[in-house]
Amino acid sequence: MSLILQTIADGLVLGGLYSLAAVGFSLIFGVMNVVNLSHGVLVLIGAYISYTLWHVFGLDPLLSIPLNMAALFAFGYVYQRGIIQLAVDRSSLLASMLVTFGIALVLRNVLVLVFSPDFKNVTPSYAFNSLTFAGITLDFVRISALGASLVLLTVLTAVLRWTAIGRVIRATAQQELAARLCGVDARHVYGLTFGVSAAFAGASGAILGIVVPFAPPDEAIWTINAFVVVTLGGVGSPAGALIGGLLLGLISTFTSQFIGPAFPNAMMFLILVLMLLIRPAGLLGNAFSGSR
Amino acid sequence: MPTIDRRRFMETVGSAAAATAVGAPFVRRADAQAKKIIFGGSVPASGRAAETGLNVQNGYLTAVKYINEVLGGVEIAGEKYQLELRLVDDASDPARATTLVQRLIDEGVDFFLGSFGSNIVLPTAAITERAEKPMVQSGGGSDQIFTQGYKYMFGMFPRASRQFISSVAFFKTIQPSPKTISVIMTNDAFSKTNAEGAIKDSKAAGFEILESYQLPEQITDVSSVLASIRAKTPDILICTTHDVNSLLISRQMASSNTNVSLLYQTLGPQLATYRETLGKFANAIAVQMYWDPRSPYKDPYFGTAASFFEYYKANNQRPIAYHTAGGAACIVTYLEAMKAAKSVKPAAVRDALAKIDVDTVYGRVKFTPEGDGDPLLLGPAIGQVQKGIVELIFPEAAKTGALIYPSPKWNEKV
Repeated sequence: MSLILQTIADGLVLGGLYSLAAVGFSLIFGVMNVVNLSHGVLVLIGAYISYTLWHVFGLDPLLSIPLNMAALFAFGYVYQRGIIQLAVDRSSLLASMLVTFGIALVLRNVLVLVFSPDFKNVTPSYAFNSLTFAGITLDFVRISALGASLVLLTVLTAVLRWTAIGRVIRATAQQELAARLCGVDARHVYGLTFGVSAAFAGASGAILGIVVPFAPPDEAIWTINAFVVVTLGGVGSPAGALIGGLLLGLISTFTSQFIGPAFPNAMMFLILVLMLLIRPAGLLGNAFSGSR
Repeated sequence: MPTIDRRRFMETVGSAAAATAVGAPFVRRADAQAKKIIFGGSVPASGRAAETGLNVQNGYLTAVKYINEVLGGVEIAGEKYQLELRLVDDASDPARATTLVQRLIDEGVDFFLGSFGSNIVLPTAAITERAEKPMVQSGGGSDQIFTQGYKYMFGMFPRASRQFISSVAFFKTIQPSPKTISVIMTNDAFSKTNAEGAIKDSKAAGFEILESYQLPEQITDVSSVLASIRAKTPDILICTTHDVNSLLISRQMASSNTNVSLLYQTLGPQLATYRETLGKFANAIAVQMYWDPRSPYKDPYFGTAASFFEYYKANNQRPIAYHTAGGAACIVTYLEAMKAAKSVKPAAVRDALAKIDVDTVYGRVKFTPEGDGDPLLLGPAIGQVQKGIVELIFPEAAKTGALIYPSPKWNEKV
């Protein structure tokens, strides 16, 4: 029984990280219809920013999240307005996919140039501590990852639901033309959306850095994970990302524990295929599709 | 009988004379230059295998720089040669590596050095074998590399399934005697065959194998495996994993307080970054060590292992690893084979490599008939991290420290 509880706890903790890493991808996909293949590299940039702040100034990675999000927000805004919007204007949404793939390759190699291809780690003082209760052991970094994920996803939900920016983003996602007729600068909103997504990628990178060693080539894993999470949970909403991420975490740990540690990826992609066949919009569906 | 008219005769002779006149200065210039031996190959200077890939590459670069600049080149069959490297970055991608190696063959490179990682060495070896060009490498140990019947492939490491002979001999010397072993492997050519060898040799030596866990090639979480290990704890946990995966396992073991009497990893703790990341938690983790600057090995090029280390340190920022010395030994082994063959023709050098038995600063190099390193001469010693550095604890002759066993619990490490 304690093994099952341990597996559930491990799955939820891992899922929290997956959720946070995927929510930005989900938002861009939902609002702009852009499949951002450079999402994983944005997560890694966040990890490297935290690594640098921790390494140079001794700043705790969790405390560095606001700085990290601000930097990635600015980067994301400029990236969308300067590159992705141009690609969409000149060609099509498909072009944006190719562009983000190309940018991911470029940024990955920039990271290699700046930080070397060696793997990096962020190990704050609590990195090797754990909690044990009722026979379940959980390490501090993963608990803090889950906690930070829940807080940030709640904040994003609140921003999207109750703030002016959130309302504008939702309005533009639902009916771009109607939003423009009401005076919304849709291009600016897309830039903001991309900025918010990049900021959340950065936050998840900060947390990722304290949980696992990372190196530039890992970016592909985080893009793929985000894709699976969005397919499971649904597009465009933090709730979808949370449910998808937690499900993916549970699938991963249960498969590893009860089928075999070699099979989580196989199970993950099997469920991805099944979801695409049975419920392609994910469990919660597209958050903005109702009014499209 | 074929005939030739006067006009065609004049054209032919005229063309030949013109070609000779135009080409002669270049021929003379080529004669004046030192002859070159070109070594080619791909290395993972970027991508997932880059950390150790760069260590291998630095071995090649250091050896060539030393031989050209300090020794003024090398003399083979009475002729002086300079060495040249043509290394390309395969980005840890086997498909890219095969394309690049084929291009080097098309460009006329005759001698190849290996990449890092069995998944890259294996397909590139197939290409050099087909072209009948030798490859000497210190980056791939999977059995599959050495069981294809290749004649032109030589590896510094014994094949993976034979790399545990010395490790199991070491386990037998531990007091109080460990009885149970569990094994963690990843789903790649090296790790799997290495683990299979570990299980086979451990069973033969009378140890009980509690569990073997096979993980995907790239892992981000091992909490489920560690939960199983806490439920069924072995005396020795063997991880036949690559550097990053080994680090992830150690980190999660430390943070979840998953204790075993000895954590034994084939790769990882030999890297300075691994030890710096774990800090005090790296202490007492054991690792296979194929070379150490304090090793007693000598050769006529660098002198001693210590002098090779000093030269490396003076010319590089990157910390040395045993893969670096292995890379340098590939070059030295090639040169010794060329001297023995009195030739720089690939086929002759290949035959000399097959028979080679030579001392290098990496150790005495001798290959099995299948091309992998002799398991007794080139098998690993055993190291253990103690106070942040790797001390050799086995075999007795190479010992620089005493084994700490059982390891202190993670929360008791200092």
